[in-house]
Amino acid sequence: MTDLALDVVQQLLNGFLFGSSYALIGIGFTMIFGVMDKFNLAFGVTALAGAYTALLVLHLTQGPLALLFPVAVAAAGLVGLVVELVCFRWMPRDYPLAPLMATVGMLFFIDEVIVHGTHGRPMAFPAPMGEVMMDVGPWLLRGDLGFMFLVSLGVMGILWTLVYKTRLGLATRSVSQQPVAAQLCGISLVRVNAAVFVITGMIGGVAGVLIGSAVGALSPLLSLPLTVKGLVTAVLGGLGSIPGAIVGGLLLGIVEYEALYFFGIGYRDMVTYLLLFVFLVFRPGGLFGQTRH
Amino acid sequence: MRRMVTAALALLFVVGLLPALAPAPAAAQERVVKIAGTGAMSGVIRGFGVNSKAVFDMVVDEVNAAGGIKLADGTRAKIATTWLDERCNAEEGISVVRKLASEDWLVLIGPTCSNVAEPLFGILQRKVGDAGDSGLQFPIFTDTAIKPGLAKISEWAFRNVPHEPTMYTHLFKWLKEKHPDLKTVYGGVEKDFAHSNSNRGTMDAAAKAAGFEVMGWEEWLLADTEFSTQIGKMRRAKPDIVAISAHPFTTCGVLREMKRQGVKPKLMVGLTSTATLETMAGCGPEAEGLIIPSGFAPVTPEAKRVADIVAKKYKGNVDLHSAAVFENVLVLKRVIETSGVEAKPGTLQKDRQRVREGLAKVKEFDGLLGKVKRTEDRESVKPYVFAVAKNSDWAVLFDPR
Repeated sequence: MTDLALDVVQQLLNGFLFGSSYALIGIGFTMIFGVMDKFNLAFGVTALAGAYTALLVLHLTQGPLALLFPVAVAAAGLVGLVVELVCFRWMPRDYPLAPLMATVGMLFFIDEVIVHGTHGRPMAFPAPMGEVMMDVGPWLLRGDLGFMFLVSLGVMGILWTLVYKTRLGLATRSVSQQPVAAQLCGISLVRVNAAVFVITGMIGGVAGVLIGSAVGALSPLLSLPLTVKGLVTAVLGGLGSIPGAIVGGLLLGIVEYEALYFFGIGYRDMVTYLLLFVFLVFRPGGLFGQTRH
Repeated sequence: MRRMVTAALALLFVVGLLPALAPAPAAAQERVVKIAGTGAMSGVIRGFGVNSKAVFDMVVDEVNAAGGIKLADGTRAKIATTWLDERCNAEEGISVVRKLASEDWLVLIGPTCSNVAEPLFGILQRKVGDAGDSGLQFPIFTDTAIKPGLAKISEWAFRNVPHEPTMYTHLFKWLKEKHPDLKTVYGGVEKDFAHSNSNRGTMDAAAKAAGFEVMGWEEWLLADTEFSTQIGKMRRAKPDIVAISAHPFTTCGVLREMKRQGVKPKLMVGLTSTATLETMAGCGPEAEGLIIPSGFAPVTPEAKRVADIVAKKYKGNVDLHSAAVFENVLVLKRVIETSGVEAKPGTLQKDRQRVREGLAKVKEFDGLLGKVKRTEDRESVKPYVFAVAKNSDWAVLFDPR
């Protein structure tokens, strides 16, 4: 096999595995949009806030690394609830742009809180899964990214069970499809929305820890790229579709890595956003979503 | 008639009383020398601004405690300060400086970022005395923004930053002498940051001048988190030396990826701005052996003293950037005392010109590591050391002073 072919396959594998981090973030965007028909642009920074809180608790308690996950999940769930209250529940309903802009404000607010708390310095983040590298023939695979991919699948499975096999899921689907009818049936819109924000926040907590350990550090620099990539992932996969977010994230990862290899860093993002435009023009519903008219 | 006389007397009484109620004349007030500072106090570069401000507060407190600055008429004036956030953003930096220049600040220390300094110097008057140039006539003495050659933009711009071409030329020459068996260098650069991107050319030229073969440069962006593609190419090239022109966040990411992929060059060289505690906090173990030329290390009694006080009392770190603030304030003190600055309300613009002229005349001053020479284009030639990452801390590898 030529060097070029080896490299192309290596990029494919790297992109596929790293794309799972986009998938995890994309799930949060897509789920909130699916239920509320609104964007929560503070989701990426919610994930980051969960990871930072976990790191802080770990430092303070000197506890085991396993502590990272429950603390991040709890903290990000709480931040998710705050975002729901501040950016959605308390916003006037007559101004559709208000919640969107409020989440932009929340993104930069949380980001700046992190900057002030850390002086903007990158903080080393432990790797609970270690830094295993696997030799697969001539290719190298990162164990932590493989684990992240499995977690994305696991999260998808849990969410599927939650949405299709529980009363909360039934209520969520009702609110998503016919909010007025759902309310007439006695479903509390406020409670369902809050539950969705807490659950997506908790997923963000898992994503934050996994991304922090994969990157090896936390930095406020991460929040904006996570937001943009999560949003692109959700659009590629189809807004509202959880399997779509996973496939969209993996696709985005692969396109980025191949573009980086073939065209260099200066063109990587151009190719990525070109792909986004192509989808928006020719398949606005994404891979798994439905086209809205 | 009686009423008119009473009114006139009352008026006279009030008019007579007015001077007593008015504030004391300026001359009788305590005189102050107003020195402003600006640096990145928010955003991801905040750490740089925080350190510069800590050193600024420390040295100003020391000068004031020692009696302040002697003015032209022999009066001693305390230094009054302000420190504003330029957010490492050009528009913000320009807005901050326009505000300070419109007020009664004598001189400015800062900014943090080269991408702020470059456009900022562009709004200053280019040539002193050019009546056709309406640019700001406000002296700026930069401590951190390090991209080479910026002071030549305006005669009101002065800098006290390490001269990277000199340091890297010396470093690569020294490495060649110490390790004649090493032949090849592979570089990596954070492409979207003014300083790191310009330093790529500096490192490349220095390595070639020392006789190394530069095999190539990999590129990434400031916010990138994954470097397997770039490091994969380095792995295949098997260079003797890896040179990284990037700030701590991506330098740490790159070093981690090198470890993962088993890229083990015989030596590693880093960017000056990475010789900080941020790097050690982010990836101390992975950075082991990273060599960086630095304009500061606590290797003299004064440097140790300043570093200790700033760390203990002002909660900051003295590094190659923030150390310059200490030197700048002391140079300004000397210039103000010898150039006839009056610090009176009516002499502001004249005082600014005096400070500019005084700074332009400085040919040498005592820095924390030794004598700092000034060049004709208002830059510094500073003493430096080669620092190396050792046991998650910085140690001096070679002291060429």
